[in-house]
This record gives sequence, structure tokens and C-alpha cells, in this order.
Amino acid sequence: MLSAFRSALATPDLRKKILFTLMIVAVYRLGAVIPAPGVSYNSVQACQAQVEGQSFFTLLNLFSGGALLQLSIFATGIMPYITASIIVQLLTVVIPHFEELKKEGQSGQGKLTQYTRYLTIALAILQATGVIALAERGGMFPNCTESIFPDSSVLTMAITVLTMTAGTAVMMWMGELITERGVGNGMSLLIFLNIAAQIPAEGANILNQNTPLVFGFVCLLALVIIASVVFVEQGQRRIPVQYAKRMVGRRMYGGTSTYLPIKVNQAGVIPVIFGSSLLYLPDLLVNLTGDPQNPSGFTQFIQTYLSDQSSWLHMLLYFALIIFFTYFYITITFNVDDRAEEMKKFGGFIPGIRPGRPTAEYLRFVLSRITLPGSIYLGIVAILPNFFLSLTGEGQNQNFPLGGTAVLIMVGVGLDTVKQIESQLMQRNYEGFLR
Amino acid sequence: MSEDGEKDPGKEQKSSAPRPNTAAARRERRAAASGTGSDAKAGKSAPQGKAGTGPGKGTTAGKDRPTPKRSGTTKEKTEKHSLFARIVRFLREVWGELRKVIWPTRKQMITYTGVVLVFVAFMIALVYLLDFVFLEGVDFVFGN
Repeated sequence: MLSAFRSALATPDLRKKILFTLMIVAVYRLGAVIPAPGVSYNSVQACQAQVEGQSFFTLLNLFSGGALLQLSIFATGIMPYITASIIVQLLTVVIPHFEELKKEGQSGQGKLTQYTRYLTIALAILQATGVIALAERGGMFPNCTESIFPDSSVLTMAITVLTMTAGTAVMMWMGELITERGVGNGMSLLIFLNIAAQIPAEGANILNQNTPLVFGFVCLLALVIIASVVFVEQGQRRIPVQYAKRMVGRRMYGGTSTYLPIKVNQAGVIPVIFGSSLLYLPDLLVNLTGDPQNPSGFTQFIQTYLSDQSSWLHMLLYFALIIFFTYFYITITFNVDDRAEEMKKFGGFIPGIRPGRPTAEYLRFVLSRITLPGSIYLGIVAILPNFFLSLTGEGQNQNFPLGGTAVLIMVGVGLDTVKQIESQLMQRNYEGFLR
Repeated sequence: MSEDGEKDPGKEQKSSAPRPNTAAARRERRAAASGTGSDAKAGKSAPQGKAGTGPGKGTTAGKDRPTPKRSGTTKEKTEKHSLFARIVRFLREVWGELRKVIWPTRKQMITYTGVVLVFVAFMIALVYLLDFVFLEGVDFVFGN
């Protein structure tokens, strides 16, 4: 493995990509600690020390990588971007105009990306305003008397909102840069970073609050989850594809038999990200608009049933959302008709099945059947640790970063990224990390 | 299971029958195909609703009669089954596909898990380090 690591760095092309990604990571973390304009850094630090460990914002804080409680320029996190892309992708099914754009191909896709960006900015302004209003009212750090905004004039607030919105735009751009010029999928990698940033603190938290035995149990659980995620992630249904021999001039082409790999979990970690961020929306809404001192009935309902990780409604809803998004995302990303058409064009066919429409139908048949266990597995892994949370009880539902969602995202992103590096290495005939 | 199960016997039947050499034999074969052959086929595919999408169904029937319509028959079939039966069939098909899945070997599992662990550990360490440095820096600039 070490030699593979060396050869990865020795390849100039790949080295550039990896270093570029690491640089973006560094910039991203820097932005997460720089305080936004108008915010008094000292009082934020003082307040943070007071509410240490008991903040009800932990869930949201996780998705912003600690930047939210820091009130930094990246305080809104990439949540607006995720939400916007969910909305736009859902709209492709509902609105005919969007559907047309999607079918249009490259240019239509560009148009959709543009819409996603506009929507992101709109959502970011909303969220930044909410966050600032909340911090100004003192709802973010209860029982903290320090004033976070020394100068609370409208102009200063507007500048703060503007900066946070710009921060979201920069994050979105960085995510796209990673996808384009770095290694791995930008959006998932940034979420991965957010979770990774919380892990050391949370780990220390568990170790301090409990006996080492509990800590060991949590670690073991994490390891089991990691192994099981890798296991299912690697499971493939291989559909045999036979290519016809053709004569072009005097040369013989094709005649090979390969397979079309269909993963058991073809959708990856995206359904989990979508599902969890959709579940946090009501939580976010309530936290940003509600009055923390005397919560309304609606707020209480959301906080007891939706925000609480160990409530049955939360788990049930989460499970259903994951299954829905798995199917949804697969129909969006894996176009069976295109695949069948492509196969037909290059003279390939599945033995026993005619090229063209029957092939597309067969692919759809296999895909819909194989996705059911895949989505159920995703749902189970995501909610399983929540059962343990309710078992171990007292204050443990704060250790969310070691829950199923976080582990799923981390392992999924890790596997994806390593595989991408691996395939780049393979192009140069080096031995990779995975043998 | 269902797809392969209904395909294989049909293939065998086709290949096992020798090609006729004389005109009389050909006539005989054609009569057999349009009579018993198609009946046997229909009877076999009836219990399985998926028959409509199967390859080459109905094309082996006699040439002098029109190809039987597929869409109408399949619709009838799916409607006939109750919801429960359809769910059971779906689950059976899921199980059938799941059995064709190629799972990673023990060796692969160990390498992949190890690589993922190393990657995650590296990233956590990196982020932890970066955060520490940046927090100190920000504290130096903005703190008092």
C-alpha cells in the first residue's frame, strides 16, 4: 500500500489533483474559523465555552462542520446547496419545462445547474438571515449574556448576511472545483470534512463521559458498520454483455464478452445525505423562527418527534426517505434506455435478450429488483445506531457523528475517492491501493 | 430464477429437434409447430406474468397465422393477480437477483476496509491539525 501511495504522488497528473484537493480542504477549514464581519469574536468564544456539550444545535452544527456555532463566514454550511439540488432534482419530475431541460442533454443540464445555483443563493440568504437573527436574539447560546453583535444596525447585519451568503457561494464553487479538477465528488467530500471535523471532539466526549468499555463498544460498532458498508458497497450484479465481431477494413473488432456491473447499492451515499438533510429542514426552520423561551405546540412536536434521533417517527421517516431517494436517484442517474441504446450502437447485447427496448426493460427489471435490498440496507445502517442511542440513554444522543449516517457518508466518500485515485493509477499501469 | 427458468427449456426444445430434410418432413413439422407447439408454449408461460417481455415469445408459431398480441394478454395476467401475490413474486425476483450478486472475497474485504480506515484516519487527522492551526491563528488575530 505504501508503494501505491508513493506511485500516486509520483504521477505528476495525479499528484496535482491530490494536492489541489488538499488545498481546497485547507481553504475550506480556514473559512470555517474566520469570524463573519460584525460578530464579536471574543463574546462568541465566551458563549461557546458556556454552552459546551449541551447545545441543541449539534445536528445542524454537524452539517456546517462547527462553523455555525463559530458564526464564521461559512456558517451556513453547504446545506443550502444540498437542499437546492434536492429541490431541483425533484422538480425535474414535476415541472415539464425542467423535464425537457433534463432530456436536452449537456446544455439543458447546464441550465439546471444554473437554476440550482440561483436557488442555493436564495436559500443561503434565508438561512444566513435566520442564523443571524437567532444569534442576535440570544437563542443560539441560551443563558449567555454577552452581546454577539456589538453594533446591531441594519447595515452591519446586511453585510453579515451578505458575507455568509458569499461564503455559501464560495463553498459551492469549491465543491464543483473538486469534482472537476480534484479527486472525488466535491459535495460529498465537503460533507465528509464537516463530519470529520466533529469526530475528535465527539470521540473525546464519549471517552470522558463514559467508561473505556463503552468507548471500546462504540469503536467496535463503528468498525462493524464500516466493514458491512464496504461489503455491500462492493457487491455487484454482473450482467453479461456480448459484443458482436465486426470487420472494419481488414481488421477484426469486438467479439469480446464483458459484463455490465450493477452495484447492489448503485446510488451510493447520496440518498443518505438527501434524506438526512431533508429531515433537518423542519428542525432548522423551528430553530431559526421559533422562540426558544416559550416554544409553541408545533415547535414542541417537531423537537420531540422529528429532531430527536431516537424517536420512532424520526427513524421511520428517515428510513422511508432513504428508500425513496435511493430509487429516485437511481432513476435519475442510471438511464436504462440510454444504456440499452449505447449497447445496441456498439454491437453489444445481453445473451438471450434482444437489443433495444427489451434490453432496456431487462435492465430496468434487474435494477428495480436489486435496488430494494440496497435501499433497505442503507436505511438499516443509517438508523441502527439510533436504537443503541436510545438504549444507552442519558445525553448520548449528542454523539451523532458516530451514528450510522456519519459512518455511511464517511465510508462511502472514502471508498469513492480511493477508487477514483485507483482508477487514475490504473491508467498508468501502476499497482493501486486495492489488489 | 424466473427469467432463466422460462428461457432454457425453450432453447433446448429448439436445438434438440433435428432440421427436416425432405418436403414431407417439413410439412409435418410445420403442422406440429402450429398445433401442439404453440399450445405447449402458451401453457408454459401462462403462470408467469413476465412472459410479455421475454425474448422471442410467439415468434416461433406458424408463419401463416398472425403473431399473437402480447400487450393484451400480459395486461390481463397482471390484473388477475392480487396485490399480495404480486408482492410475493416481486420479493422472489429480488431474492433471485440477489443470488446472482457477486460478493467481495475475504481478502478484498480486508484490503478495502483497511484502505478506507487509513483514508478516514488521515482526513480526520488532517482536519484536526488544520483546525488547530487556524483556530490559533484566528485567536491571535481577533482575540484579546
